[in-house]
Amino acid sequence: MSKSLVVYFPGQTFFHKLDPRTKIVFMVLVSTVIFAVQNLYLSGIILVVMVALWLLARLPASIVYGFLKALLPVFIFLFIVQALLYPGVTPIIKPLIPKFIPLIGGMGQVNLEGILFAVLLMFRLLAMVILLPLVSMTTPVHILALGMVRMGLPYRLSYTITAALNMVPILQSEIGVIVDAQKLRAMSTFEKGSIWSKLKSYPVLVTPLVIGAMRRAQSMAVAMDARAFGAMKTRTYIEDIKLSPMDWFFMIASTLGTIAILVAAAII
Amino acid sequence: MTNNAIELKQVSYRYARTDKYVINNLDFSVKPGEFVAVMGENGAGKSTLCQIIIGIIPNSLGGRLKGDVIVGGLNTKEASIAELATRVGIVLDDPETQLFTTSVRSEVAFGPENLNSPVEEIKERIRWVLDVVRLTGYEDRLPTALSGGQKQRLAIAAALAMRPSILVLDEATSQVDPLGVVEVLTLVKELNQKYGMTIVMTTDQSEEVAKLADRVLVLDKGSLVAEGTPRQIFSDTALFSRLMIRAPQVSQLGMKLSQAGHPLKSFPVSLEEGCQGIIELLADKPASPPKREPEAVTGVEAKPQNDVIISVKDLDYVYQPQDVKAVKNVTFDVHKGEFVAIIGQNGSGKTTVLKNLLGLLKPTSGSVMVAGMDTKTTAVAELAQHVGFVLQNPDQQLFAETVEDEISFGPRNLGLDEATVKDRLEQALKLVGLEAQRKEFPPALSKGERAKVVIASALALNPEVIVLDEPTTGQDYKGCHQIMQIARSLHEEGRTIVFVTHHMALVAEYARRVIVMCEGEILIDDSTERVFARPELVRRAHIIPPQITELCQMLPEELSLPRTPLSVSQVYETILARLGKNGNQ
Repeated sequence: MSKSLVVYFPGQTFFHKLDPRTKIVFMVLVSTVIFAVQNLYLSGIILVVMVALWLLARLPASIVYGFLKALLPVFIFLFIVQALLYPGVTPIIKPLIPKFIPLIGGMGQVNLEGILFAVLLMFRLLAMVILLPLVSMTTPVHILALGMVRMGLPYRLSYTITAALNMVPILQSEIGVIVDAQKLRAMSTFEKGSIWSKLKSYPVLVTPLVIGAMRRAQSMAVAMDARAFGAMKTRTYIEDIKLSPMDWFFMIASTLGTIAILVAAAII
Repeated sequence: MTNNAIELKQVSYRYARTDKYVINNLDFSVKPGEFVAVMGENGAGKSTLCQIIIGIIPNSLGGRLKGDVIVGGLNTKEASIAELATRVGIVLDDPETQLFTTSVRSEVAFGPENLNSPVEEIKERIRWVLDVVRLTGYEDRLPTALSGGQKQRLAIAAALAMRPSILVLDEATSQVDPLGVVEVLTLVKELNQKYGMTIVMTTDQSEEVAKLADRVLVLDKGSLVAEGTPRQIFSDTALFSRLMIRAPQVSQLGMKLSQAGHPLKSFPVSLEEGCQGIIELLADKPASPPKREPEAVTGVEAKPQNDVIISVKDLDYVYQPQDVKAVKNVTFDVHKGEFVAIIGQNGSGKTTVLKNLLGLLKPTSGSVMVAGMDTKTTAVAELAQHVGFVLQNPDQQLFAETVEDEISFGPRNLGLDEATVKDRLEQALKLVGLEAQRKEFPPALSKGERAKVVIASALALNPEVIVLDEPTTGQDYKGCHQIMQIARSLHEEGRTIVFVTHHMALVAEYARRVIVMCEGEILIDDSTERVFARPELVRRAHIIPPQITELCQMLPEELSLPRTPLSVSQVYETILARLGKNGNQ
């Protein structure tokens, strides 16, 4: 996976210029529709819109491709499970086990409905996965924090959220170093081992990661205290954010879009 | 009220849930505008002292603080964090943990914003502060994309933005490269001399301490064991024989000479004084007829071509997708039994070369052969049995519950039988001297011991070559030498050692061959003496030779002392021999 998932990816596109509040509203709306809509075509439309916005924001297409690659095992698993287990009426592959055998009889039948359901899940999963980096990569973290504060979140809380976002790339590169270090101790499970052996080797990776994160958090706390973080009830921000006509347009458009999709979902 | 910037009155401290006091009865004061250096071994309580001075202890960290600490007129027990933050700022060792926003501007603004300062005033402060640390024009840069020295200057800027009159630096130069050290110290000096700031700095850069500090405090096990001007401290032979801290090399020489009954007229703490003193000492001792130095006693011996263990040919490496060419046209061979140092600034390509040796990166073009195997086609785990790697930060690989399990991890991965694993474990434990700690939890060990565990786990794979990546970063003087002594004993066993470091005194003392890298290319590749004999070239890579080497290069040639000595003892013995010989005549 790419190393820069949540790191701000500078740009001058309209999506970059949107107010953080607009993007937060957008995120809430999109997550709602993704969860609420169970229709294949509508989910397809949502995914297309997300990918279109991704490209409009000039974010690297390679990241979407990276998601696809990383999620591939999940998709394959979904396909197999849904294809075999989803109750359907349109068989495309005849049962592998004849119907007259008790209990397991009729198993192994693949229904069109199962396949379609797997595709639906895939669409929704992908749309969901794209959503967060679409916002986090187009918004500097401190601006995002400011957006949350202006929306009424206490600044200590909004800072905690953004600090967590900030930690992601640091932890990612940390994981890279740890994996390398253990490889050099003749550990080969990360390259070729089975899923089981990968799971078993978890502590090898997680222990140094957690201990490192704790040490880091301790000195970070000292650095933040020394700069009076949390000392006052409110704080100022040197940056200012303003809702532009574009923001209102985008917010209205996404609200209308959301309503349209929800209505369509209810009718279909 | 007192006029002191900092005042500690009978201060003792223990952390929560422990009953051992890590700070014992400290009682001292610092005057406004004073520059105080704090020295001591790791674990002496230096960082704890820093946190006590800035008031994090007792305000944020629990534990029990006895006595009173008055900083900028405030008692830290009564003052709030916000009040204290405007009196005293701190800069820590690790740039990554103290920079947490996404631009230089917002990093500097972070503190004043927390104090609710008006926006216009903050903007004015940003302009002023960035000008002071010379980062104007970097406002929109990502802090993580700056160089080590720039990151630390930014951390200083962020502290300055709170307008403190006292700045505490806790090992602030220990994780930056030599150029970064110069940048940071130049700035700190300016803050002290031009802006009159009070500075408290913990460090083991004693050559710099000698130049900058008004006063040195030496801590040991939480107690103040010595206090005085750099001259008083660095000439205190008894102190240095008791504690493993580092005196400037000229002072080490001065100390040795006075112990041998030949004290310099005034005890040297700076290069100039050392130079002057030696000229006077040898003035009435006519130099023996100038003899050519024996050519490279410890240098690269002629090697038969068949025992090449690492062979790098025309190595190019380009990082993707950023398309950054990190290494250009690098060619070198390492023979069995060599002790090689690779030096150069951060970003000069050292780490990229190392990663190519280990098979973690595959050459973009050119080839890397290790023990006859092409790294392009060999698995990392296979290569690891020939090249052992010691990581810079031990905490990035320690995971097991005991030291034994940690060390056995590698051999078990190789599928060796338990008897062999046990053998390897015992050997490794013995080599690094950790037999007594075998059942301990690795992350709970001291920094020096953790580094030894990492060395032992590399050794357990029984490699012919050991590669160490900045093994002494964050280690104190004692730790550095213990680690390098282990490397030396491995070398004496016949193993090949390759190490990367910024620590020139260690290079001089231990390495026989030095490869200097600069902007992705090899600048020089020669014996240690010959490399340091070309200061102009070394300086192009922004590397400062050890002080003892600089000293001898400053001395007039007619004294015919070694031009590029690698250790203090070498110079000491030459001088002593001269004095002795002349004395007998």
